[in-house]
Amino acid sequence: MSKNVLIIVFTEMRDKLRKWREDNHRNSEQIVDVGEELINEHASKLGDDIWIIYEQVMIAALDCSRDDLAWTCLQELKRQFPGSQRVKRLAGMRLEALEKYEDASKQYDSILQDDPTNTAARKRKISILKAQGKSAEAIRELNEYLEQFVGDQEAWHELSELYINEHDYGKAAFCLEELMMTNPHNHLYCEQYAEVKYTQGGLENLELSRKYFAQALKLNNRNMRALFGLYMSASHIAASPKVNATVKKANVKYATWATNQINRAYQVSYARCLL
Amino acid sequence: MGEVELSCLAYVKMYLHACLFPRCSVNGLLLSSSPAGGAVCVTDCVPLLHTHLPLAPITQLALTQVDVWCAQTQQRIVGYYQANACVSDSSPTPCALKIADKIAEQCNNAVLLMIDGGKMSPDYRVPPIVMYERKDTRWTLKDKHTIMLRQWEETRDIASQLLDSGDHSLLVDFDSHLDDITRDWTNQKLNAKIAELASPANDNLGVCQLGNPVLR
Repeated sequence: MSKNVLIIVFTEMRDKLRKWREDNHRNSEQIVDVGEELINEHASKLGDDIWIIYEQVMIAALDCSRDDLAWTCLQELKRQFPGSQRVKRLAGMRLEALEKYEDASKQYDSILQDDPTNTAARKRKISILKAQGKSAEAIRELNEYLEQFVGDQEAWHELSELYINEHDYGKAAFCLEELMMTNPHNHLYCEQYAEVKYTQGGLENLELSRKYFAQALKLNNRNMRALFGLYMSASHIAASPKVNATVKKANVKYATWATNQINRAYQVSYARCLL
Repeated sequence: MGEVELSCLAYVKMYLHACLFPRCSVNGLLLSSSPAGGAVCVTDCVPLLHTHLPLAPITQLALTQVDVWCAQTQQRIVGYYQANACVSDSSPTPCALKIADKIAEQCNNAVLLMIDGGKMSPDYRVPPIVMYERKDTRWTLKDKHTIMLRQWEETRDIASQLLDSGDHSLLVDFDSHLDDITRDWTNQKLNAKIAELASPANDNLGVCQLGNPVLR
């Protein structure tokens, strides 16, 4: 292969890794594939980028049970950044992957001793509780964490997921409300909130769910879950014996509109399949 | 209660569904194309969700759509499967019990199948599944001797082969369908691939009863 082609291949690989890093993609098998080759064949060309790539590949390697690769990356990082808290955290993650939870916890505790505000270490400790199936404790710790770090979106979302799994829909809704407040244009939070409200049930919650499904659609008119959700919530409200004729009529209209949109979406998709 | 037979197609798709989303809990419905009465033959499955299993709207939607499809294809919903994200705990969650209850309302020898993530290795000698049946109003463990998988080793090998070749990414669950409605949640393409790999049925060899694994 000519030198130019090799350079193109190398830059493509490096750019792919960067994109996945920026988008926070968890496509670990691909990252390991591309990253391992990049590290083995093109390390000299990477310059200072190599350290962040070692970190990215290490985490992906842990995800794929590639302890050999993870270990290699960790050694390189330890050598370059001795005593770094960030590298210590990576060592902790490796212990987690090996299910050595007590050792991992000690690792994070030592980070927190030096730096009590280290959010990464605190969140890793909560992840350990989650991995061990200790949901109640994970929820408690996460609540405490959020009292201090109230702006951490990732944490609010994680907490909403934990509450949903515990069937504590009221508290899950509260977390999603926080997320919607700080991310008013995110259609996914609106749609998830609507799903939680629908699950809680009762006329008031159904009406709220319909409103938020509609809001999600306003923000993204191709959100199929929101479209189906609008149809289902409006249909249930219309069928309820507790609503008056006006409300019934309005909800029948919403449900019909949703049905038409759904049918159109499927027709367009069938047409695309035939092309 | 009665015997349950699990087909290669159903097992392979369930297994691949769990493998496709290793960090999530996944669930799906078990279908039968055999008439009601006698042993329950699970001939196919529909993978449903890998996010927010306990939430109602999408589950209800999926149940309705699968119901309609079953009526069109002469199949019945005879059970429910789930694989928990946390591999150390393969017991049915409240939402699993709820959905299984709903299915049992329409099908009185419905089964609840939990995939035991901790036992899912390629060379595992016994299928990594735990089955429950409804006795009175509670779901109780089914006697292993009443659960059958024909050609277990072949089935297991097909699943491994598809996993190794990356073909498990062909699997579409209902969640993925909602992300892109051009994707087919009835998995016709994957079904064809599995049928291709399965050799002609041989009733006498390799039948695996969960209680007594028969090695060829």
